[in-house]
Amino acid sequence: MAKPKRKTQRHVLTYMEDAVCQLLENREDISQYGIARFFTEYFNSVCQGTHILFREFSFVQATPHNRVSFLRAFWRCFRTVGKNGDLLTMKEYHCLLQLLCPDFPLELTQKAARIVLMDDAMDCLMSFSDFLFAFQIQFYYSEFLDSVAAIYEDLLSGKNPNTVIVPTSSSGQHRQRPALGEAGMLEGVEASLFYQCLENLCDRHKYSCPPPALVKEALSNVQRLTFYGFLMALSKHHGINQALGALPDKGDLMHDPAMDEELERLLLPFLRLAQVPGLVNSVTASPEASCLPSRTPPRVGSPWRPLHHSRKVDGESDGSTEETDESET
Amino acid sequence: MDCQAEVNCGLHLVIQTSSLPEKNKVEFKLNKDTSSFPGRLLQHDLERNYSSRQGDHINLVSSSLSSFPILQRSSEEKILYSDRLSLERQKLTVCPIINGEDHLRLLNFQHNFITRIQNISNLQKLISLDLYDNQIEEISGLSTLRCLRVLLLGKNRIKKISNLENLKSLDVLDLHGNQITKIENINHLCELRVLNLARNFLSHVDNLNGLDSLTELNLRHNQITFVRDVDNLPCLQHLFLSFNNISSFDSVSCLADSSSLSDITFDGNPIAQESWYKHTVLQNMMQLRQLDMKRITEEERRMASVLAKKEEEKKRESHKQSLLKEKRRLTINNVARQWDLQQQRVANIATNEDRKDSDSPQDPCQIDGSTLSAFPEETGPLDSGLNNALQGLSVIDTYLVEVDGDTLSLYGSGALESLDRNWSVQTAGMITTVSFTFIEFDEIVQVLPKLKIKFPNSLHLKFKETNLVMLQQFNALAQLRRIDQLTIDPQGNPVVNFTLWKYYVLFRLSHFSMQKINGTEVTQNDMIMAERLFGILAHVASSELPQYRLISILGDARKKQFQYLLESKGKKPGIINEENNDSKRLVGENTNRATLNYTTRDFYNEKLEEIKEKKKFCKTYIEDLVKEATEINMKNEALQKLWPQMFIELVRDAVIEIRNKNSYMKLCLQQITDQK
Repeated sequence: MAKPKRKTQRHVLTYMEDAVCQLLENREDISQYGIARFFTEYFNSVCQGTHILFREFSFVQATPHNRVSFLRAFWRCFRTVGKNGDLLTMKEYHCLLQLLCPDFPLELTQKAARIVLMDDAMDCLMSFSDFLFAFQIQFYYSEFLDSVAAIYEDLLSGKNPNTVIVPTSSSGQHRQRPALGEAGMLEGVEASLFYQCLENLCDRHKYSCPPPALVKEALSNVQRLTFYGFLMALSKHHGINQALGALPDKGDLMHDPAMDEELERLLLPFLRLAQVPGLVNSVTASPEASCLPSRTPPRVGSPWRPLHHSRKVDGESDGSTEETDESET
Repeated sequence: MDCQAEVNCGLHLVIQTSSLPEKNKVEFKLNKDTSSFPGRLLQHDLERNYSSRQGDHINLVSSSLSSFPILQRSSEEKILYSDRLSLERQKLTVCPIINGEDHLRLLNFQHNFITRIQNISNLQKLISLDLYDNQIEEISGLSTLRCLRVLLLGKNRIKKISNLENLKSLDVLDLHGNQITKIENINHLCELRVLNLARNFLSHVDNLNGLDSLTELNLRHNQITFVRDVDNLPCLQHLFLSFNNISSFDSVSCLADSSSLSDITFDGNPIAQESWYKHTVLQNMMQLRQLDMKRITEEERRMASVLAKKEEEKKRESHKQSLLKEKRRLTINNVARQWDLQQQRVANIATNEDRKDSDSPQDPCQIDGSTLSAFPEETGPLDSGLNNALQGLSVIDTYLVEVDGDTLSLYGSGALESLDRNWSVQTAGMITTVSFTFIEFDEIVQVLPKLKIKFPNSLHLKFKETNLVMLQQFNALAQLRRIDQLTIDPQGNPVVNFTLWKYYVLFRLSHFSMQKINGTEVTQNDMIMAERLFGILAHVASSELPQYRLISILGDARKKQFQYLLESKGKKPGIINEENNDSKRLVGENTNRATLNYTTRDFYNEKLEEIKEKKKFCKTYIEDLVKEATEINMKNEALQKLWPQMFIELVRDAVIEIRNKNSYMKLCLQQITDQK
């Protein structure tokens, strides 16, 4: 009982510390409009999940809530990229991550990419949803995954899996080039044995772990699995995704009605400009035709629909666009 | 070419005979007045003067004793033509033995098949020997002919000039139409006046010293590319160089130093085709009276000097230009080299950080920025003059600043300092394009404000080899006043490999309404796509950030600019955005993306370092607060526990006290008086 309490207490302290730190940094500006208001805004933004925007990585990964918020922010900001159907390289995804968090480490993105690409051909293009779900697992459960990697190594080399395993440093995953020769003809490790070790790990682990029941579900279909196979299974598992609560289901990944409305509003002047003859450079048929679902507005054909649309929204949602999570499942 | 024009001096060897019967029209005219081209005309003349009947009454008797035929003349003829003998067209293959004619002075062997000069050593009074049109391969057999004055060996097969040592009185030497490749062994011929080496295989002219009497030198129809030593000929007046391979005046520069030369021909040479031919020759040879057989007029001379001056100017100018160009090229090479080394060094450091073990990095950082010889493989063909001038450059700069009309080009990070210079308003105002090469983008970011001020009309920015690796870096360009065109060269800028980079640029810098990126026009569809892709990012970046974050990110300077954004936090962001987008489209920066900034890596790390201290303090502060709070809480809890008991005791004590009213009153009064 004490443990969970301490956990949440610790996190509250983290936010308190950070709040005071922010206050110190922006002393002059904040003093203008009041400290009480500052604290209100700060904790509001923590609740809304916007506190991690453009913050340094050490803060972004400090608490599970921060991580969830970051994942969510990334999804919301760059969902349009995914919607457009572009396949990007790992480096480019990393770039996008850096837009939100300037010092986000490349290592994490690389690890996430490895999950998608099954540790092969790191220059390959990846789809937005593949990357995002893999990234979620990698980022949210980083410490857990490091320990799992260590366990996997040990199982591969035949060590006793029930000995106490200390989470190794992050280089653990580097060592993870499976020595297939040692495991004989069969690849990976036995699923049930692996699960037992994981279960032990989850009990002991002070960092967040995926719910063991769901992990068991993910492992239920296979006899043997490789490390990256396991991670891939985790990332594709709907239950785990839902348990995390950051991202919507894969099917709904591209849907975010509120943001789409907002986008329409932003695009309005552009579309209007496109109507005015002579004002446009050259409206050529765009070769990069985006594969937009039918929900998105028509491009140049009927300019009036979006306007009408947005007015309706204005009337309905009174200040609701300030709330960001209203489309959350 | 074979013109019959009058030349002042020349030689035509003609020997006048006394009146003779027709059959003996042998005439050798020795005439110092009229002139012609000795070699050919001589032969011409001789042919003309000959009658159809060839030769004198000659009997060639073959002797059984030797292989040579023996010549015999009737004593009548011997007396009549005692000093001359003509054996022309006698189908001779060898020189016959000539007996009893030792006072012969003129000997003619023209048009035979003689291969060797022999059997004439006894004719020691010979002054003219004509072996024109034979098959002689070597000059020999002449060593006894010390009186010889005219030697005609045209149209033979002679490969080498030799064995003329004893012919010190030689006046005319005709070797035209042979296979001679080199001028040699004639330096002792100090009385030679005419030398004909036309139609040979000479490739150059030198070794002419010692010919102190030479007035005419015929070198037509050779392969001469350069001429030397002509200034050593004190009497030379006529020089014929037609139909050779002379292409520049430098290769015949010695002619300028010859004060005696008055007549020269260059026709049929490449040099004669050049536009500067005539006036260059005239300008360099002021003593000339005739060029290519045409007299030179005063007008021509004047024109020549004017044109020559212009040529000089042009040459100097282009020399200067090529010098500058060369320097520029070398500097850029140097900058590129340093850039490469720097990149390698960074890569080495990065890979060394990856591996935990630290090998000694192969560190090629011994940059020697001051050697010309550093680029031997890259020097193109340079003039010798250019090379000499460059040797004087002891240090090559490590950066280069260039202004070329409307373009300012900066190479190397040192060049960024030049933005501080005092640029004249005119020059600075003309600059519309600024190009950065071999400079880290992070360094460029820091000087962008200066750029904005000093070069207000710069509309086109070009980046090459500037290490653009992140989309974020483009945020830094938003602070400029205006950009119409952006060119990011793929070389040295990995960011170009990203699929989305152009859209991001268009999105972030939408307030510039850029016309072109990397040469391609920006279409409205591009703009729409950019907004579509990143519009939500902008929205999130502006409306979802809490007030204080906005302030801290935007910074003091731009607070005013975005005052209305800050004030609007309470209102519906939707409307405001619409207003912003419509009205502020082309004027100010799009507010909703103003928070997308770029701080260079170094600055960022610095900031984080600074924050560390604060964080530590905050941590301890909060911990203290927590401690205090928990203490207070504990005390509170303790108090809660103890309070009922305490309360009961308080009440009991009070009740016990008041039990006896009288004694209590007395106690109170006592307490009051004690107090005083």
